[in-house]
Amino acid sequence: MKLNKQTLSAHPTLVLWLIVGWAGFFLLPWYGVEESVFTFGWLFEGYPFDDDVAPAPFHALTGKKFWLLPLIPFLIGPLFALKHPKSDPIHSKILIICGALGFGWLIAQGFSIGIRGWNFQWMESLFGPLGDRQFGMGTGAMLTASAFLFILTQGIAARGAVNGDIFVVGAIGFVVTIVAAFVFYPIINMLTSAFVTQENTYSVSVFFEKFTDRRLWGLACLEGGRCGAAWNSLVLAILVGFITTALGLAFALVVTRTGFRQKQALRALTVLPIITPPFVIGLAIILLFGLSGNVTRFVADIFGVAPTRWVYGMPGILIAQVLAFTPIAFLVLIGVVEGVSPSMEEAAQTLRADKWQTFKTVSLPLMRPGLANAFLLGFIESMADFGNPLVLGGNFDVLSTEIFFAIVGAQYDQGRAAVLALVLLGFTLAAFWAQRFWLGKKSYTTMTGKGDSGVHPHLPKALAVPVFAIAGIWTLFTVTIYTMIVYGSFVELWGVRNALTFKHYITAFSMKFTEEGVRWTGSAWDSFWTTLQIAAISAPLTAAVGLVTAYLLTRQKFAGKNAFEFGTMLSFAIPGTVIGVSYILAFNVPPIEITGTGVILVVSFIFRNMPVGVRAGIASMSQLDKSLDESSLTLGANSWQTFLRVILPLLKPAILAALVYSFVRAMTAISAVIFLVSAEYNMATSYIIGRVENNDYGLAIAYSTSLIVVMLLVVALLQFLVGRTNIGRRLNQSRTNV
Amino acid sequence: MLEKNSKAASVSFEGVTKVYGNAATGVRAVDNVSLNIEAGTLVTLLGPSGCGKTTTLRMIAGLEMPTGGVVRIGDRDVTKLPATDRDVSMVFQSYALFPHMSVLENVSYGLKFSGFNKVETKERAVAGLDLVGLSGYGDRLPSELSGGQQQRVAVARALVLEPQVLLFDEPLSNLDAKLRRQVREEIREIQQNLGLTVVYVTHDQEEALAVSDRIIVMNNAVIAQDGEPRELYDAPINRFVADFIGEANILDCEVASIKKDTAHVELKDYKFTLPARDSEVGKSFLGVRPNRVIVGKAGINNALPGEILRVTYVGNHLELTIKTDAGELFSTTDDVDADFSAGTIVSVTFAKGGPVLLKQ
Amino acid sequence: MKRLNKTLLAAAAMMAASTSLASAAKLTFYCSAQEDWCQSMARGFEEATGIDVNMTRKSSGETFAQIKAESSNPKGDVWWGGTGDPHLQAAEEDLTEPYVSKMRGELNDWAISQASSAADKTIGIYSGALGYGYNADLLKANNLPEPKCWKDLTKPEYKGHVQMANPNSSGTAYTTLATMVQLFGEDGGFDFMKSLHKNINQYTKSGSAPIKAAGRGENTIGIVFMHDAVKQAVSGFPIKVVAPCEGTGYEIGSMSIIKGARNLDEAKQFYDWALSAKAQTRALEVKAYQVPSNKGAETSPSAPDLSLIKLIDYDFKKYGSSAERKRLLKKWDDEVSVLPQ
Repeated sequence: MKLNKQTLSAHPTLVLWLIVGWAGFFLLPWYGVEESVFTFGWLFEGYPFDDDVAPAPFHALTGKKFWLLPLIPFLIGPLFALKHPKSDPIHSKILIICGALGFGWLIAQGFSIGIRGWNFQWMESLFGPLGDRQFGMGTGAMLTASAFLFILTQGIAARGAVNGDIFVVGAIGFVVTIVAAFVFYPIINMLTSAFVTQENTYSVSVFFEKFTDRRLWGLACLEGGRCGAAWNSLVLAILVGFITTALGLAFALVVTRTGFRQKQALRALTVLPIITPPFVIGLAIILLFGLSGNVTRFVADIFGVAPTRWVYGMPGILIAQVLAFTPIAFLVLIGVVEGVSPSMEEAAQTLRADKWQTFKTVSLPLMRPGLANAFLLGFIESMADFGNPLVLGGNFDVLSTEIFFAIVGAQYDQGRAAVLALVLLGFTLAAFWAQRFWLGKKSYTTMTGKGDSGVHPHLPKALAVPVFAIAGIWTLFTVTIYTMIVYGSFVELWGVRNALTFKHYITAFSMKFTEEGVRWTGSAWDSFWTTLQIAAISAPLTAAVGLVTAYLLTRQKFAGKNAFEFGTMLSFAIPGTVIGVSYILAFNVPPIEITGTGVILVVSFIFRNMPVGVRAGIASMSQLDKSLDESSLTLGANSWQTFLRVILPLLKPAILAALVYSFVRAMTAISAVIFLVSAEYNMATSYIIGRVENNDYGLAIAYSTSLIVVMLLVVALLQFLVGRTNIGRRLNQSRTNV
Repeated sequence: MLEKNSKAASVSFEGVTKVYGNAATGVRAVDNVSLNIEAGTLVTLLGPSGCGKTTTLRMIAGLEMPTGGVVRIGDRDVTKLPATDRDVSMVFQSYALFPHMSVLENVSYGLKFSGFNKVETKERAVAGLDLVGLSGYGDRLPSELSGGQQQRVAVARALVLEPQVLLFDEPLSNLDAKLRRQVREEIREIQQNLGLTVVYVTHDQEEALAVSDRIIVMNNAVIAQDGEPRELYDAPINRFVADFIGEANILDCEVASIKKDTAHVELKDYKFTLPARDSEVGKSFLGVRPNRVIVGKAGINNALPGEILRVTYVGNHLELTIKTDAGELFSTTDDVDADFSAGTIVSVTFAKGGPVLLKQ
Repeated sequence: MKRLNKTLLAAAAMMAASTSLASAAKLTFYCSAQEDWCQSMARGFEEATGIDVNMTRKSSGETFAQIKAESSNPKGDVWWGGTGDPHLQAAEEDLTEPYVSKMRGELNDWAISQASSAADKTIGIYSGALGYGYNADLLKANNLPEPKCWKDLTKPEYKGHVQMANPNSSGTAYTTLATMVQLFGEDGGFDFMKSLHKNINQYTKSGSAPIKAAGRGENTIGIVFMHDAVKQAVSGFPIKVVAPCEGTGYEIGSMSIIKGARNLDEAKQFYDWALSAKAQTRALEVKAYQVPSNKGAETSPSAPDLSLIKLIDYDFKKYGSSAERKRLLKKWDDEVSVLPQ
């Protein structure tokens, strides 16, 4: 086949992906290698003949893995498309056929043939025993798969889909594929594992047996016994949702509608719990209110009552979760409370409503979407919370901890974990749906885009006093808790030896300066560096995937957009525990075998935190006039260049928000992480949980305190890096888009 | 300096349809439209909002893809070509200047993707700014310019690429009335000097009449009429065009007979002949511009008797509302001293070449 | 898109750990003990032999499942640590390799008997007896007598002062249940569990949690393996360890070589090393106070002396079988856990 330079340069993207595909298929190790591919250690381990590191053709020709052979024609096929211009139907036809069949075959063989030959009984009986098997896909397979995917999307683009835009179709294909692979596939996989019996067959009765378990749905607590974990979780989550929403609203009102002056200080205070690693609040509560807690002893001494273990169970978890999640409600509500147009409230007042009536009939109803969102967030966070129930749970079982112990405990019952996870997922999705239902189709938009003068009226006195009181108590409480935390990190052995010491910091973060350089001898360094590394890798990826998705959702029209939006937002409603369980079930076996690696952590963070990036992106992108991109397109820039040069520079605030959020979440997340860490890739939070389990509170708290400081530094650094350019210019932006 | 554009190309649509949503049940924004725009001319797409004119423009730009039909620019079939790959540039209603780039950066933006080196890019961008009279404003941010200046930057940005076709989407709607007249004249001048193919969308009929070589009037997703400005005004093809461009009296009439190309028309007792224009014998419509309605003394033969209902003096002419058997008529006369008053009985006739037969 | 891919590749490249190119000998080591102990064993073996150790830590149940899944293409070489039941089960299912170490002469009898009950496919490396510990300060503050026997714990004055793990989620608590059944007979054992239930303030999830809570002063008495209680006492908490007067059950932490190991020689080398007094003494560094199987290994003065404790003749075969386990747990669930407290 002769291809002159011109035909090659006419399809640069296609050529690039063809090269990627060939490299993946013919050069790189097809299956996963033990160490990372980028160390190139595999080049010295018998490449290309050794089975462990051989590229696909060697497997197909020397071994018995003949099922890889059918991929070759699909890799060569697109060469014929190069000869035809993009508008030629043959071009798109070739690409679609090669891409779709290649990708399909690759996936099909991956799922059908596993470490024990055929993965499905019916295949074995149909084709006979295979005599060979395969492990998880490696770099080679992944590159080949991506090449097929993008060849397919280029074919679809060439047919004229989404204005024939290669970048947009490719991006849609990419997002759909990764969401399918890392959100839907694990969830569906988990769903099926709930039906698996011990003999590895499927049965509905197994599911019902586990689903109707008394430990899940029992109502004995009404008669003095213990209730099922499902009821406990539900009641707790509803309470937390209501209380955090109410408190968040109180704070938002204090900041916007009173003469309160220390607004910055209050905001700073509310940010603290967000960057606090899990357990820390729970530990502080034990140290204060536990059987031997300071407050408990103090009260016992003064009033002469016997100390009790009241804090273990619902009350303790409730306090800890309210402390931890109120700031989230506050951050949601502050925007909404500020967003209610003052002119609406002024209008109500000129219509003879007094302050209280105005608040009740106009302001509050207009805040409904914010209230619903805040409640939903509190509800989901509480459902997924793992750290606080673990240390404060007592006999109060909740789903998230039950799931954990179904997997790691002596039961080792993955089926039960799957069933519990499904119940948890059911609750959160139901809450999601209920929120939509409650908001209905009413419009709550009050911002007109036109200059809105006027000021928010102050709260009526009857409301201001209790709101101030609540906010004051909460503030005092938070300050106490954090003082305890800092203090606790310097105490030798809490409650036993109260001498002040740096010992915990030294144990965690000591280093030695030797001739070869610094030796990180502290016990926390390993997990600390891993955590920083994983967070630093996943934050930009999360922001990138989130913003690209937001771009597709706000800027492009394509078939199935609603389903696309649902899919990308779904992981928001899935508690971390469920993600964790579904990931180990799905990715412990080929074709995607990534448990025990750092990749699985990065991937889990990306998909856990992506919805926030999407939301932030959508919010700021919908404020950018669409004609900006269109004019860039008509000026000869393609979508990718437009995205890079026009959209991104105008999206700095959204990028910063997504980066900070995903970084902080990656540093503090525990619910999914606890299932996914390994000896090599241990995260700070799971190291801390280990210290907590070992009764090593001092070290745990010292480590957490250090993490808080590190996160504050990183957030400041990000703000500096992202926000520095163009700020002066952006101030003028609104005038241009009249 | 920019010279006469040798790249200017024609644009043609063959049976182009655009449906939003489901092909069968969705909204038809453009329905089976065929048109041909010659190279080097300024053609206006005119119509009420929602008529499909902007969608048509965006399909030329490549910002929308037709559901069916073929789009050609020059001899090239561009139906499925995205905007990036077409040699077309567009001036937006909102100007869409990039707020984070200076004026010069804005004007250079497209040049960067067209293979010019740095020196050429700068030269061309400066020349472009010169052309629109904004030399020296290159370092400013768009937000530091007035509306009219911003508009000119947008024009310069599109012009410097010397596109095959230049598109304007309601470019003047954000300017005040005086500036509007000035800028539209500048646009027309540049277009004629450089020999550009320009497609121009507006809903303002006066603007369309003033700048265009040809006007394509659209209504309900189809082309209502396609012709030179004068043709459209003097000989609108149907009720819609007659009503949309200028004011018109639309009356029910009877075509008694058609001989060759001449129709014998009866409006109650008033009988006259008109060019037939494909009409058929039977009921039809008659369109008459107000200044073609002649109001005379009562009792004239072969005329429409009527009674003046209102007389309004508006400075340079009189406006009369006349009640006749064929309906109310609106008439203007330059004779401001004429002795008309409400209640006067008059005879109404039409100037020769005034009325036209209209299709529904 | 291109740029995006570049970013992805760069990110992946960053994750590549430091290189360790072609090395001669290596060992894949599955460990089921506590993390720091596993690390200490892996590093210790590397230092002693220069063999690269690739260690994976998972619970004994998980490791068993993994070895079973990989049986057609074993990836692991040696499996060290964790309670004996799954090791015995692996031996029974022929997933592990018989090996008679030259170190046997230095071992305690119970370690050898573990090996002989499994046709030399596993061996005891440490042992721990069940018991309980109490917080001396709290006991005093509540004016409670010092408990000495299992039966003491069922006395009404200890109501709300005893903690144990939930047998459904903890192997320790299951061992407790099985011990009571063997000690007092099935009916007697369950009667004991029922009266104990009245005094329990919390069934924890993890086996050692009760004694940790006791250490912090959040609980008075915790039923745990004695070495866990010792660990708290050594850490400085006011914990006293009790070996119950009626006698008690125990676990034997075991080690097996995986059948079809790729590095069989290295696995055997590890096996011998792990049985040595020197290797077993490492336990002290990580505060693991189990009784080592090597008679010559150092023990902490605070570790319980197994020879002074009345140990029952624990039937590992019967009570380790999954059928018996299921039956007892269900019975406990139905008859004990539902009772009001």
